[in-house]
Amino acid sequence: MTTFIVRRIFWTIPVILLVIFMTFVLMRQIKGNPFRTSDRAIPAAIQQNLERKFGLDKPWYVQYYRYVKGVATFDFGPSLVLRNRDVNDIVREHFPRSLELGGLAFLFAIVFGVLLGALSALKANSIFDYSAMFFSNVGFAIPSFLLATLFIYFFALQWDLGFPTSGWTTWQSKVLPVVALGIGPMAAFARLVRGTMLETMQQDYIRTAKAKGLRWRRVVGLHVLRNSLIPVVTAAGPTLGFLITGSFVIEQIFAIPGIGRYYVTAVTARDYSVVMGLTVLLAVIVIVANLLVDVLYGILDPRTRDART
Amino acid sequence: MRIKTLWLLLAMLVASLALIAAGCGGDDDGGDAAGTGATTEEQDDGGGEAADQTLTINWGTEPPSLDPGLASDTTSANILLNIMDPLVKLDEDLNPVPSLAESFETSEDGLTVTLMLREDGTWSNGDPVTAEDFEWSWKRTISPELAADYAYQFYGIEGAQEYNGCEEKNCDALADKVGVNAVDDRTLEVTLTSPQPWFTQQLAHHSFLAVHRPTVEQFGDKWTEAANIVTNGPFLLDSWEHNANINLVKNEDWRDAENVTLTRIDGRMITDGTTAVQAFEAGEIDVTSGLPVEEIPRLKETEDYQQYPGLGTYYYGFNVDNITDVNQRRAMSLAIDRQSIIDNVAQADQLPTTGFTPQGMPGFDVLNPDSPWQPPTADIEQAKELMAQVDSPKTDINLLLNDSPGHREIAVAIQAAWKELGLNVSIKQQEWAQFLEFIGPPPDKSIDAFRLGWIGDYVDAMNFLELWTSDSGNNSTNFKNKEYDGVIEEARQTPDNDARYELYAQAEEILGGEDGEMPIMPIYWYTYTQLERPTVQDTYNLNLLDQVDLTQVVVQES
Repeated sequence: MTTFIVRRIFWTIPVILLVIFMTFVLMRQIKGNPFRTSDRAIPAAIQQNLERKFGLDKPWYVQYYRYVKGVATFDFGPSLVLRNRDVNDIVREHFPRSLELGGLAFLFAIVFGVLLGALSALKANSIFDYSAMFFSNVGFAIPSFLLATLFIYFFALQWDLGFPTSGWTTWQSKVLPVVALGIGPMAAFARLVRGTMLETMQQDYIRTAKAKGLRWRRVVGLHVLRNSLIPVVTAAGPTLGFLITGSFVIEQIFAIPGIGRYYVTAVTARDYSVVMGLTVLLAVIVIVANLLVDVLYGILDPRTRDART
Repeated sequence: MRIKTLWLLLAMLVASLALIAAGCGGDDDGGDAAGTGATTEEQDDGGGEAADQTLTINWGTEPPSLDPGLASDTTSANILLNIMDPLVKLDEDLNPVPSLAESFETSEDGLTVTLMLREDGTWSNGDPVTAEDFEWSWKRTISPELAADYAYQFYGIEGAQEYNGCEEKNCDALADKVGVNAVDDRTLEVTLTSPQPWFTQQLAHHSFLAVHRPTVEQFGDKWTEAANIVTNGPFLLDSWEHNANINLVKNEDWRDAENVTLTRIDGRMITDGTTAVQAFEAGEIDVTSGLPVEEIPRLKETEDYQQYPGLGTYYYGFNVDNITDVNQRRAMSLAIDRQSIIDNVAQADQLPTTGFTPQGMPGFDVLNPDSPWQPPTADIEQAKELMAQVDSPKTDINLLLNDSPGHREIAVAIQAAWKELGLNVSIKQQEWAQFLEFIGPPPDKSIDAFRLGWIGDYVDAMNFLELWTSDSGNNSTNFKNKEYDGVIEEARQTPDNDARYELYAQAEEILGGEDGEMPIMPIYWYTYTQLERPTVQDTYNLNLLDQVDLTQVVVQES
């Protein structure tokens, strides 16, 4: 297991190098001048001063080398647009917010998704099942930005429930964004769990367990649920990565000072150093999330453990 | 055994959820008290000043920089002008009036401006504000090492452009030659390259604020953080949580603190227009600006809606190398219905243009050409007549826009109008940075027309009309006219206001008058829209440059 983890961590290095290379090439391919933030023209002398200050007057391979070196030393350099801030400051201050938002939404999705899916499967084709699945389908179909707007309109504005419209301060302010972000994945988990559980319950070994006279509660807990969770874990890795890195819209609508807002504005503004720093960060998150999934596989399914050590 | 691990995992999950909930609950009380309570509870009876002079506003976005040398946007400017003390302020008629400078004089030949600083200006650490502070700050902004976007604001000062473009070897020598000189602690002498009557107004711009040298030298790029910053204005930067809020408190030691009523400004950064409106309606903020277009018709009906004229022009530019015939350009301008675009699309009571320089600009009555090619409602008949005179019209028009909200809707209305002239318009939208690359100057050859706006930096028509000179970096029309260049150059050398306004009138004639070339087609002059609580409506006002003077604001009891 340890060898497996070490090997996986080692493998992230070429992946990150590739990410840097592709980001570098793509950012240079789309036109745009990071220093022209408004429609005002920048006199040639000022443009030159700016390029010199940020090293953009150097040949591309020197710039590329600097980026790689920056990543290796965890120093991503200054933002080209937010002139008093470094990429490291931005990550330090804003990444924890996105992590918290994405993490809470993930917990919300897993806990309620598994619960809802399991109950639906156990009471398949009941009223509960139908309404839960209807709810899941709707939750899955409505995009998060619409949910967010509706949530603010009803829960913060129309009905005085004590939720503020925006911000990321009190626990009340975190409820609406977490639910708005988590409801889609929750619905996906619920449908996944219901489907696999129904399938598992048809299996021979479940019948055997029942025939052995095991209590139903134990059958469900030990055999059904556990075997149904493997596809959930498979889906959970990318979902966690997505929730942490893809919360831009929710951050924007709820005015949450997370990293997603910086990422999107940095691309728009051609803020090369911020884009590079955040891309590497997000790549690492996705890699770590997938690594966690693989480790969890081992715990849930011993067969996969042996294959890798 | 294994089932235990699973349940253990689940238990840990639940426990961590509970912990997070508990942890968040802790700061609940404090946050709520500071947030919403302040203004809603004071609504007793009668007028007069409210006991609590706290105002909660929405700054809109994170200011990219609170360094006066580096800031180049409205949000940063608005905060800076309230935490720093400008040499001059603009009064209601946009004339410069003394602020930190108790007097300013321009020499007979218009080339030297002498400013006398007040004795009682102090930095928030107790140091006096001196003329040397300004000399050092301005030269810092001009220096190539700082690489400031707005260094060109100083190009009117002798030697500034040379220093800004210096190579390493000669920089120090050129720095000494810049025409900013602290004669003594309180006297600042500025030498200009030519008489610039607008220079004293330009001093109200945030680029001309002073910074505190020891602080800048100690903290480098990080000197603007709330923990480090030293300021000299009516309000202090109390806290700055990036992309979340900037809070200001009254500076009790400021030279004129007795005339400042607000004690605290809590400023949020809600970028999404709809959320900002909802936050206002939920009572979380007292003022928010930049309302989303689709909400304006509804909000207009409320007592909280306010709008202010802005010093800005929304226009379409023509690539005159592609649309070569002036009659076609005139016809295209005649064919669009400015009033209808305002009423049905833009919706904020903008003013239909009659020239390029917006209403409100000093000298407007003299310089406005009352362009015959820009009627408020479309004149299709005349437009068709003019089109008929065009020998080889350009019938396939590529129109380029950026993809911010609202532009496409206006373009569609214009597309329909131009169709009546037999023109096929294809609208192309690009993301902002790419859009700027495409319009140049020079514009990409494929572009026939494009959309842009211009918002004034300082209050003189020069700031608008110099755009259309041949070598202007903002002229994406390929319009090059010697006569026009000559008129603008002459205006630069003309200190007398009335004489200069006459020259501006000539320039406007060349653009849009009876014989005008119409390289551009102005559409409307901007307005700024806001929601404001009735308790601050009387005193919270935006000037033509979209700036609020928080020293004037008083929260009334409702």
